[in-house]
Amino acid sequence: MKVIKGVLEEELQNSLRMKKQYESAIKELPKGSLVEKKIRGHKYYYLAIREKNKVKFVYKGKMPEEEQKKYLEAKLMRAKYRKLLSQINKQIAFLKKALNEKSIRSLS
Amino acid sequence: MKNQYDLCLEVLSRLQKAAVLEQILVIGSWCIYFYRNYFRDSTYSSSIRTRDIDFLVPIPTKFKKKINIPEMLRDLGFIEDFHRKGLIRLNHPELIIEFLVPEKGRGRDTPYPLPELGINAQALRFLDFLIDNTIKLKFDNLKLNLPHPAAFGLHKLIISSRRIKEEKRIKERQEAIRILKILIKKGEEEKIIRLFEPMPRRWRTKVINALEKDEDKKIIDILI
Repeated sequence: MKVIKGVLEEELQNSLRMKKQYESAIKELPKGSLVEKKIRGHKYYYLAIREKNKVKFVYKGKMPEEEQKKYLEAKLMRAKYRKLLSQINKQIAFLKKALNEKSIRSLS
Repeated sequence: MKNQYDLCLEVLSRLQKAAVLEQILVIGSWCIYFYRNYFRDSTYSSSIRTRDIDFLVPIPTKFKKKINIPEMLRDLGFIEDFHRKGLIRLNHPELIIEFLVPEKGRGRDTPYPLPELGINAQALRFLDFLIDNTIKLKFDNLKLNLPHPAAFGLHKLIISSRRIKEEKRIKERQEAIRILKILIKKGEEEKIIRLFEPMPRRWRTKVINALEKDEDKKIIDILI
């Protein structure tokens, strides 16, 4: 039982460390989602950024493809990181619960 | 989200495509999982394992081209975890990847840089023993280099004595003994003896000391 407890504790520490890393990775990604608008046949871009309860549109004008790609990749990575963060939060809750179980406490 | 097993296979498959997998060894508790293709015994089951998957890189390295592993795995959700002194691990909720190299001479207190792979590896003792005794295993479409189970078991017994945490010590000893007993059951005790006998005396003492803590003295009887 000691071995299982040790493994769970190690996993909990790893998950807590990972949680911080994913949170800071999300913060480091460029904010906002790119919105394309067609005006008289020309494409113009706006960056939609959520500020508290409001969505703000920041005019970016014409944008090179490379920069568009950067925002698109950031959007995909943000979604991925959020999903993984939610997975980590579930792991943390599970591991904390498992480590608090009477059966493990009494045997350690 | 991919489960741990699928993610592990995806990582290994990408390493194989990049011609990295053929140059490195999978070590640590994931070996026990892959050994199922070595033992081919229906009663064989892999034990409890953590998320860590360790790759052992023999040095000097022989990689044909330079690749950036953190970049290669970024779209799977892996993020770089920079430890103090520069050690890099790749973290994912399902898998933690670490690269190791054998420690030479007096050792070093900084990680071993592997610019060919875009990572820094941790240098550890006794790993040459695993590099010198390997097997090749096919697993799905992968060609894996693993330590021979006898080397895996004996190495685990040696390093178990160096563990500070008692539960880690017990876990490693139990894993080692389990694998060695399965080898004996398979009729490969000669291999264990062949690897044990040429070991330095200190190593042999560590192996015997670890085995003495087990109630079943079958392995000691074979070795002494």
